[in-house]
Amino acid sequence: MTMQDGTDHGTDQTSVAEAPAPAPAEPRAVYFDGKTNRKRTVTLQFAGGVEILEDGRIVDIWPFGEVRRADGPPNLMRLSCVTALPLARLEIADEATKAAVAEHCAALDLARSGRGGTLRIVFWSLAATCSIIGLAVFGIPLIADRLAPLVPYSMEKRIGDAADVQIRAVLGDKDCKAAEGQAAFQALVDKVKDAGGIEGPLEAHMLKSPMVNALALPGGRVYFLSALLDKANNADEIAAILAHELGHVKHRDHMRGVIQTGGTSFLFGLLFGDVTGAGAVIFAGRTLLNQSYSREVEGDADTYAIETMQKLGRSAVPMGELLLRVTGKERKEMTIFASHPLTEARLERMKKADRPITGPALLTDKEWRALKKICE
Amino acid sequence: MNDVLTPALLQPLVPPPLPATVASRMEFANARPQYRRLVMRGALLELITVGFYRFWLATDMRRHLWSHTSVEGDAPEYTGTGKELLIGFLFALAIIVPLNVGYFLLGLEAARLKAFASVPLVVLYYLFWQFATYRARRYRLTRTVWRGVRFSMGGSGLNYCWRAALWSLFSVVTLGLALPWRQAALERFKMRYTAYGNLAGQFEATGGQLFRRGWGLWLISWLMVAGLAAIVTWTVFVMMEVQAAGRVPPQNLAIKGITAMVITTIASTAVQVAAPFILAMYRSIEWRWWISGIRFGEVGFESDMSRGRLIGLYWKVIGWSLLMWVLFSAWTVAVVFIARSQIGDVPEVQKMMLATQHPVFYAGIGVAYVIGILAFWTVTRIYMIHDVWNRVASSVTVYNLASAVDVVEQGQLASALGEGLADSLDVAGF
Repeated sequence: MTMQDGTDHGTDQTSVAEAPAPAPAEPRAVYFDGKTNRKRTVTLQFAGGVEILEDGRIVDIWPFGEVRRADGPPNLMRLSCVTALPLARLEIADEATKAAVAEHCAALDLARSGRGGTLRIVFWSLAATCSIIGLAVFGIPLIADRLAPLVPYSMEKRIGDAADVQIRAVLGDKDCKAAEGQAAFQALVDKVKDAGGIEGPLEAHMLKSPMVNALALPGGRVYFLSALLDKANNADEIAAILAHELGHVKHRDHMRGVIQTGGTSFLFGLLFGDVTGAGAVIFAGRTLLNQSYSREVEGDADTYAIETMQKLGRSAVPMGELLLRVTGKERKEMTIFASHPLTEARLERMKKADRPITGPALLTDKEWRALKKICE
Repeated sequence: MNDVLTPALLQPLVPPPLPATVASRMEFANARPQYRRLVMRGALLELITVGFYRFWLATDMRRHLWSHTSVEGDAPEYTGTGKELLIGFLFALAIIVPLNVGYFLLGLEAARLKAFASVPLVVLYYLFWQFATYRARRYRLTRTVWRGVRFSMGGSGLNYCWRAALWSLFSVVTLGLALPWRQAALERFKMRYTAYGNLAGQFEATGGQLFRRGWGLWLISWLMVAGLAAIVTWTVFVMMEVQAAGRVPPQNLAIKGITAMVITTIASTAVQVAAPFILAMYRSIEWRWWISGIRFGEVGFESDMSRGRLIGLYWKVIGWSLLMWVLFSAWTVAVVFIARSQIGDVPEVQKMMLATQHPVFYAGIGVAYVIGILAFWTVTRIYMIHDVWNRVASSVTVYNLASAVDVVEQGQLASALGEGLADSLDVAGF
């Protein structure tokens, strides 16, 4: 009981002592007038504003609403005033004076970015991100579609030449050109080219490579890799694959690809600013984006291949069979990310569009055997 | 290690050239935990804002460092804002983007011609980088206020940029021998245009002084490089000999080959271990020399930082980086296996290739990469910025500060364009 009483009494005393707020008679501060670096010891009065007195004479009055906190060391309150000179400062060290300033100046922390400021930065950053991603997903493909047909052939050729150097570095630099095989290959290419209505020059190369693939480059270059040839069972398979690649050439898909890749990487670079910092993220994001876009493109190239083969009186189904032989059955989970449609789906499509064979064989048996031996 | 290296290769430092009139010590109120929280929170916010927060983080870091440093009880105030840096960055983009497009088109030509046409572009970027650092320094100085008066900096960034380029070229040609004179010339240029209010700055340290303090490091660096080159060359010859001897080389030759490999490994490891020591020592020598050369009117500066003062910091950064690298590698392996498990029945060879093209792989690596980069930046922001600042600042003595009284405020604010350029070119700095 006694203890309790004592404690209560003590608390009472403290609050009584604090109530009248006996701030030191002379709130002291250091004043810089914003014109020179002279350090002036001043006293403050809180009347119509923060009145700054040096030797009892008022040198300046800062209205309460216009006093702001400036950045300063941990135990020092540094003040500026909106209407005073930009570099005029008051520095206050003692706690009572700091408290008095805080009490009088309501707008003290108006300019400081606290939690609200940070949230605003986060919000606008996310908004910028959304707009850039939106542009990359919807805007860039549209621009690429419109722009690609306008690119002059000479420019496209140049890009193709540049890519050629890199492609050969990756896939192998060795052209297969055994004379008879080359003749058969060229004959096949010419037939498909004529049927497909390709204008302008076209170069088709058979490259010695362990990779199972065929590809086209801007400027009418087509590469067929020997490993894919090894897997092929007849000339129709090769012809349909060639037709597919020529479809890319016809549709100028690679020019669109270049514009799109350039555009998206530029946009993502913009987003991340310092290019090196988030290079991997940019790359991964771009890959996903471009692959989902290119599935459409591959579908169109397949359509072109089907039509071309039908013009030749042949079928595109063997191409689907060759692809299935190469890739095996694929799992479905990867569809969102795969650059090509599923092989089975492609074969299905070709079978659906299939018509009876009416035209002559594209290569004679002799030519076919020569083609198979083109790399020897 | 430090004791072994120091006595032989370095001459004693020159005594302070200034008469010790009125000396006041610069102080740094170390609040490292607070700073650490600041940069870690900043890194998190950078992650959330896809990097945009870096402007505000840089501002916060500078505010912290500036306000915790003081001379005669007065701490400078950093008055820059994150918004200024953001605007500077956007302006810089307007310059950088056309340059990058041009680079792309020229690169296309270069690859076609199979020529090294991209070399001049590297030079262009170097010039640009110099320009950016000059302008960035100007921005930071004009945002620094001490005792109610601002620092300022004039001069032309372009003028500086060609000087820096020529001096760099000269340094390269002389195998680094001209580096001290390069530093002195460039600092003289920068300080000539630097002022505190109406008190003009200048730089009085000479290239000769820096050379006298650091030539030992220069020599030992080249000796190490030459030694390593000799050992590697010898090893190559030995290995060629071993190869020429056929499938089963004679025993003595085999032993010779193994010895050569072991010696090469040891030597290259030694060089790699020695390099951070040498770099850290050079840095502290350079800091000390730089501080001793700064003048504002009658006010002079001196530093008593020892040569070994920064070595520990470099090794801490290396230690953290190694740790992060190990974690990243482990994570990469894990991700490959997770991605593999997502792939169906395909031949084993293709499986590995498909796994590294799998979206799971991209996502996993992407996330780890970003986190790794942010962690690395956090580490460098703590050790290479805060701790270096701490050690340098607390080694400084200021002389004749009393002569800098009644300095009149003048000069004007510079835009943050330089900072923006520096940011887009990844120039680090305070």
